[in-house]
Parts: sequence; structure tokens; C-alpha cells
Amino acid sequence: MTAETEDEPVRVLEEGDGVELLAYLVTAARTQVDEAAEYAPMRLLTAAGRLAEMAEPNASARMRPLLRDIRQGCSETAVQAGDPAGYVERLDALCRTVAEYLVRSLGLDRSP
Amino acid sequence: MNDAALDAIRTRRVVRALTDAPVGHDQLRTVLDSARYAPHAGNRRLHRYVVATQPSLLRAMRMVSPGMLQRPMAAIVICVDWAQVHSYGFSPANPGPYIDVGTAAATLLLAAHSIGLGAGPVTSFSRTALAAILKLPAGVRPELIVCLGHAAAEQPPAMRRQGGPRWDDLIQWERGSARSVPDAPSRG
Repeated sequence: MTAETEDEPVRVLEEGDGVELLAYLVTAARTQVDEAAEYAPMRLLTAAGRLAEMAEPNASARMRPLLRDIRQGCSETAVQAGDPAGYVERLDALCRTVAEYLVRSLGLDRSP
Repeated sequence: MNDAALDAIRTRRVVRALTDAPVGHDQLRTVLDSARYAPHAGNRRLHRYVVATQPSLLRAMRMVSPGMLQRPMAAIVICVDWAQVHSYGFSPANPGPYIDVGTAAATLLLAAHSIGLGAGPVTSFSRTALAAILKLPAGVRPELIVCLGHAAAEQPPAMRRQGGPRWDDLIQWERGSARSVPDAPSRG
């Protein structure tokens, strides 16, 4: 995984971290077959939080605020039943954060 | 009345954040041996216990265990020897071996708590991957992991739910009223 900087892409993920995340995602796919459906978004958010944690030390200054927002927005123990409306609102807020980063990083805000 | 036992039951919590302080061998042995005293149906010894303390092994276990939020310093994996279960003639639908996993896990968790360790159970993991990582014999399957360590000062919040029943709503004293009995499944 690389982060774009003004000059060139920067590698933000070590191989060991990549393997850890890969193993998590593959095994989560299997465990989710048997688990309560409400765990599915929780597992994905946990993966996103771990990816953000792994990437943050090497990430560009531009990317770090996004990673911090992702980490702060990913509770590993929150399920929708705890606060059904708030849960969806928080997910939407994270999606908005990601979208705003994409608009800036891809220069879409400078497009006509 | 043994207040110490009740206190242990009432104060035990699932610990999801652990420090990197090691778990002593004697502590681990004490927790492990407590499972001998857990109630097991028929005293058939259908369960196996795998102890992991090597950092690389624990790391690999965590990688294939999506439910393992903590980074344990030791772990006890409760396994069922399904080959032996079948040799006793248990029906595949018999929940007995799983129930005994639960009694062993509860005993291990209480034992850990009673000697000052933090502990948390994990059931969300790939049985296939963990069996391969632990090099378990054929027919032996991991069913629950008890993570062990020293509790960190800051813990993730417990899972919260809105609108659940009150504790007393879950209890039926004596025979229930007809209205409270759920519909029986139809038989084909």
C-alpha cells in the first residue's frame, strides 16, 4: 500500500502487517458465515481501524488526519443494537470523511 | 456462605486490553489446572487443552481470530476430541461437548480472575486455520480460546444494546403461563 505525496508514492504498510490484515480478512469471511449478521460491519471496521493503525507511522502528512479519523471512528465493540440510529450516523460520517479525503487527494476540488 | 467465590463471580469482566507484562508459569499452571474441577458430563475427558506462550505463535493465533481484540501474553485453547466423542456414540446433534467447553471456559476465566490475571474468551476464529497453526491431531478441533494477561488500565467499552429485556424478564419461576410459552416448532 502506498500513499501519494507531492513527489512520489510512499510505502505505508510493512509486509508483516499486510499478512496480518490478509489473514484477518480471510478468516473473518469464514467466521462471519456462522456469526450474527450484526458482527459483519464490526469486523470490517476493525480491519479498517487496524489498517489505519498500521499505515499511520509511515503515512504522508496529508493522509494522517484521515487515518486518525478512521481509528477514532472504529470502535471494536460497537454493534448497531447499541444505538441503531447513531450507529448508521457514525458510519455515514466515516464515509463522508473518506469521500472528502478522496476529493482533495485526487484533485477533484480543482476540477471544473 | 463463601463470599470469596461470589465476589469473584460478580467482579470478573471480559478483559479486551492487556499489558505486555508476562504471565508467570505458575500462574498459567494454576489457571490451567482449574479446568480439572469444571463439571464435565460423564467425566469422559473429551476435551484437550493447548497452552500457547510463544509470541510468534500467539501472533499467528490472533491473525486468524477476528474476535481476538486483545494481544494476549498467554492463551489456553479448549479443544474437543471429536473422534473420541464419536467413539462414545454421541449423536452429532448432542450439544454436550460444547456445553462442557463452556463450563471449562467459565472455570478458567474465574480462576484467572481470582489470581489477579485478566482474561477474555474468544470464539470467533477459523477452526481450520487455528488447528493447522497449533498442529492439532486429526479429529481434535479448537472451540474456544481463553486469552490471558494483565488487564490494561483502559479497556474498550463493553458491548451495549438498547431495548433488551431486564434480567428478571429472563427468569421463569416454576411452571409458565400458557401465554409465555413460545410456539413449539412444527414436526414434519
